[in-house]
Amino acid sequence: MSSLFPWRRPLEEGWGARVSEIEAVVASGRMPDYASVRAAANQQLGPREQLRIERLAKRIEKVEAKGFTRMELGLLGSRTLSYLREPLGAAGLARGLLVSGHEAPYDHVASFAFSGHNCFERRLDAVLAVLGEASFQGLRPLLDRAAEDEALHEAERLVSAIGAAARSKTGCPVIIATLPPPLQLASADSATPGSSARFRLRINRMLADGAAERRWLIWDQAALAARVGLERWFDPIAYHSAKAPFSVQLCPLAADSVASLLAAMSGRSARALVLDLDNTLWGGVIGDDGITGIRIGQNSAEGEAFVAFQHFLLGLRARGVVLAVCSKNTDAIAREPFRHHPDMVLKEEHIAVFQANWDDKATNIRAVAEALGLGLESLAYVDDNPAERERVRRELPLVSTIEVGEDPSFFIERIARSGLFEHLPLNSDDLARASSYGGRAAVAEIRARVGNYEDYLKSLEMQMTISPFDAVSRPRIVQLINKSNQFNLTTRRYDDEDVSRMQEDRELLGWQVRLDDRFAQHGMIGVVIIRKHGAEWEIDTWLQSCRVLERGVEQGIMNSLFKEASAAGVESIRGRYIPTERNGMVSEFYPRLGFEVVTKSGDGSMNFACGVARYAPHPVFMNISLLR
Amino acid sequence: MSDHESYLSQVADVIRGLFDEYDGPITMETTARDVPQWDSLSHVRLMVLIEQELGVRFSTTEVQGFQNLGSLIDAVVKHKN
Repeated sequence: MSSLFPWRRPLEEGWGARVSEIEAVVASGRMPDYASVRAAANQQLGPREQLRIERLAKRIEKVEAKGFTRMELGLLGSRTLSYLREPLGAAGLARGLLVSGHEAPYDHVASFAFSGHNCFERRLDAVLAVLGEASFQGLRPLLDRAAEDEALHEAERLVSAIGAAARSKTGCPVIIATLPPPLQLASADSATPGSSARFRLRINRMLADGAAERRWLIWDQAALAARVGLERWFDPIAYHSAKAPFSVQLCPLAADSVASLLAAMSGRSARALVLDLDNTLWGGVIGDDGITGIRIGQNSAEGEAFVAFQHFLLGLRARGVVLAVCSKNTDAIAREPFRHHPDMVLKEEHIAVFQANWDDKATNIRAVAEALGLGLESLAYVDDNPAERERVRRELPLVSTIEVGEDPSFFIERIARSGLFEHLPLNSDDLARASSYGGRAAVAEIRARVGNYEDYLKSLEMQMTISPFDAVSRPRIVQLINKSNQFNLTTRRYDDEDVSRMQEDRELLGWQVRLDDRFAQHGMIGVVIIRKHGAEWEIDTWLQSCRVLERGVEQGIMNSLFKEASAAGVESIRGRYIPTERNGMVSEFYPRLGFEVVTKSGDGSMNFACGVARYAPHPVFMNISLLR
Repeated sequence: MSDHESYLSQVADVIRGLFDEYDGPITMETTARDVPQWDSLSHVRLMVLIEQELGVRFSTTEVQGFQNLGSLIDAVVKHKN
């Protein structure tokens, strides 16, 4: 049987021995190496290897495993979701997550939604609700349109109630699974009001609309079922004998799909795709075959496949994924097809960083990461050559090297199935991201040319805009609050409803900060929340995007904050640093900005304060507009 | 080795893989009660693994009705022929 995970590397030689080493480290209570664990889990595991990684995941959960993001996931289903729990642990490891599944008791959907009782009895990061058609009440006699509409209303009420319960009882967002279609009786099923096929279609449409309005998140079970085939996805024997909503054999795949969503929620999706050139973007070798010899375009089946692949890449870019090139080639020759071949879909302007030289791939990929200001873990790599893939995997295990194979017709499928570019509903800032990174790379070049940092900052012609929270920007504000881990002083998470309340709260100052420069519109790059306690203001939240560091952004915001405080007659401003595994970069934030330590707590968190009269504004090299 | 014995040794292999804490004997008479980790949840996993490993598919009645490994092996032989 072919692997459930064709986009992962084939099981490496010596896999068992490597896993034994990790198991031994864990057994001795020590912390296993993050990259090795992720690499061992992220392979084409057969059933037995799968079991072993599931067991490993359970053990690693118990040691404090550095590098991984913990996710406590509530599981709420109308059938049992127990079979997902262990596969979720294994799938999480492959994506840098430690996922613990907590299943609600059987048939607790309605009780969770509508009663005061909280069956999870713990804090969660998300609740996954996999409802069956039977979860939705209401008789739907065939051809009775009104009854169908009513049932759909009821369904929406139930889903909203689950979302509200997740927020109020466990403080987390809810992920609702779409419903796979039933096995149909007739092609006219979906045209027949009251039929199961039609009802599920309408439910899915309702779920999609709600997700677009950010009322909940969706896990598209229906799309996954379609991909593997409904006859494989739905296993009637397991359904009846084990109460399993879908095939137990496919649970590792389902778990991986859910894990990719959890990875996206915690900001761990890949942000850039690094591409090889010869036989990856076109057929043949540009250095040998020349621009007339490479295969791209309508002249051959292979050429058409490469065109389709390039269109797919452009689609990724449109969603904010940064494209980069890394090729063993002479730079001028490598650029030739982009400039002169009429059938090339990708142009030079679409490539944020172009590394064509004779250094090895690992060195060049590192250079790409540096030019983009991204960590290696944010990069995915595509190369048709298995030897190159192998080398990159060995030298840069944190880069996601996708097993695309050698046939260009399968490149799209493998990348799509990898789930590496999973994302939540997009906003306009996401779309602008790819070109913003293009701008960043241009900035890096200027920076090399301009010696003096101050001159460099001036040359950027930065414009910062600080404005209060508003409804239009709320999705991005919520996204930043929930995704920012590194430049985040308190890592307090607030959802859409919280932020909407803050907008109205007069005792609270919510600031969204945007930055443009002459190369790019970076969009919203900071969120600050101030709680006003009379003559003392407290910085509840201060977070910034790591896209624009060392630009004087925090100094600019702080200057504006103290100006506001002074005008309001405030005497001092307090701030707090709560350390996490990932926010070490801001441990010195307050001292650097002129605050003094007030108290330190046992957990390492620190309270700071700065008197308004004492504050000395920091020099900044940008234009700042403050909208009230 | 008869068909029955060779299937039993394959099944025993799967059982030891899944129930890693069990090191007692595995025979035709073995039942779920003999293996502490073998609960109703892991029973479903076990059935799936055996089906994958041996290339068979048990019926709805079979998956819950095996008296012991002997009757499971009988079913495997029946499906194989």
